[in-house]
Amino acid sequence: MTTEPTAVIHDIGYRHYDGVRLGRGRATLALGVQSLRGVFGLGRTVRAKIMPLLLAAIMLMPTVVSIGVMALAKQLVMPYPNYAVFMQAVIAVFLAAQSPYLVAPDLRFRVLPLYLSRPLTVTDYVLAKLAALAVALFGLLAVPLTIQYVGELLVDLPGPPHTADYLGALGGAVLHAVVLSSVGIALASFTPRRGLGVASVIAFYMFTAAVSGIFAGVLMSSGRDDLAGWALLLNPFFLVDYVQSALFGTAPVNTESAPPGIASCLILLAVVALAVTGVLLRYRKAAS
Amino acid sequence: MNTVVADITYRAMLGRKRIWLLVLLPLALVVIAALFRLIGGQDEHTAVTLMRSFAIGTMLPLLGLIAGTGVVAPEIEDGTIIHLLAKPISRPVIALTKFVVAASLVVVLAGVSTFAAAYLLAGGDSGVATGFTLGAVVGGIAYAAVFLLLGVLTRHAVTVGVIYALVWEGVVGGYVPGARKFSIQQWAQSVADHVSSSPFFSTDVALGFALPAMVIVTVGALLWAGQRLRSLSLTGDD
Repeated sequence: MTTEPTAVIHDIGYRHYDGVRLGRGRATLALGVQSLRGVFGLGRTVRAKIMPLLLAAIMLMPTVVSIGVMALAKQLVMPYPNYAVFMQAVIAVFLAAQSPYLVAPDLRFRVLPLYLSRPLTVTDYVLAKLAALAVALFGLLAVPLTIQYVGELLVDLPGPPHTADYLGALGGAVLHAVVLSSVGIALASFTPRRGLGVASVIAFYMFTAAVSGIFAGVLMSSGRDDLAGWALLLNPFFLVDYVQSALFGTAPVNTESAPPGIASCLILLAVVALAVTGVLLRYRKAAS
Repeated sequence: MNTVVADITYRAMLGRKRIWLLVLLPLALVVIAALFRLIGGQDEHTAVTLMRSFAIGTMLPLLGLIAGTGVVAPEIEDGTIIHLLAKPISRPVIALTKFVVAASLVVVLAGVSTFAAAYLLAGGDSGVATGFTLGAVVGGIAYAAVFLLLGVLTRHAVTVGVIYALVWEGVVGGYVPGARKFSIQQWAQSVADHVSSSPFFSTDVALGFALPAMVIVTVGALLWAGQRLRSLSLTGDD
């Protein structure tokens, strides 16, 4: 005579977690910090570090040159507010190379449900990724600017230091970071492939830069200077430059016929809102 | 050439999101040209500017980049290239087939759109349309070969290609005249300049340098890619 086997759950000694549960905010912060480290290749392989650190080093080169010139010739060669526009190709390459890293692997290996099984929500995830890229881009711009400013103070140029210009450029760096990170993440999150993500972000930059240049050139040569400024707004770097000059009173790079400041600000807000909405919609779909 | 491999590669290229990027850029070129015609800006000078800075300077490197790396890099990334390499097809033949697919896509898309846009703006004047079409075609072939090689050499092919196209050809080439000698874009412009007789257009690189350089770069990149495929290692990354 046999007895029915009864099911037993054995305690095989797994440790329980009895500590404090830190919740949503800390989870978002952790994801953001980990993403930010990853953008610069920290905590990744050596090969992943080469590209971001190389581009960060290139960003510092004009600063070194300009401090050298300030020390020798006693004059400011590169105004702070023009730095981002001057280095736009390098910043665009950094954005294109690093924004797919933030979003593509999670989509490709379908690990999004693992994140979302935690207190983290879709919005938190997207915000953490956007914030990580924005902080990285801000650092990329702010560090060279700050070094140059410290250099200017140490060299002690004749006349007062360009503090207002420096602070305006830092404000512009925040704007650049917000605009570029939202556009970069929006474009990169549409494909799980890193290579295609890089290609689409850089295609966006090269396309807008080329089209704005051509239209501005043709409009100016046909005598419609008032419209040329509007054409330049297509290039995200010139758009931010105009907004920077409207908000912080710095001199824009393209002086000819800037569109009214309020219009540039509204366009910038619309671009950011559109991009962030696009990312959120994309992730709502990916998560469900 | 292996027709089965070519067929599979065409399907992979045309059936995915990649095709949208490949089609949107040429379409944008034609739309911009039509727009200029609408606002009455069609003249030879505008045509040459648009062709130089957009068709040859922006669209061609991007098409070459997307098609050249697209035919081989995703397969290496996914590891599925192992199934292809395990077949009794010589590796240089695989490289050549992938190149033919990439080059044909670039040639058709860039050639047709360049001709259409240039014709809209300049008509048949002083060979602008035919010149730039020929330049786009030969430049596209060279770009496809170089970016295919990059796709075989490194996992970061697109990023390296972008740095070459944007930083070297765009920024460095803009300031340093010597750098223009080693730029596919400039070689393509030399070919275009040779055919067209437009007074608004002159190039820095002589055709006698550009044509041999283009042939050497294309053939060299193909041979190297074929050799490299013979000893490809599929180690992980990131």
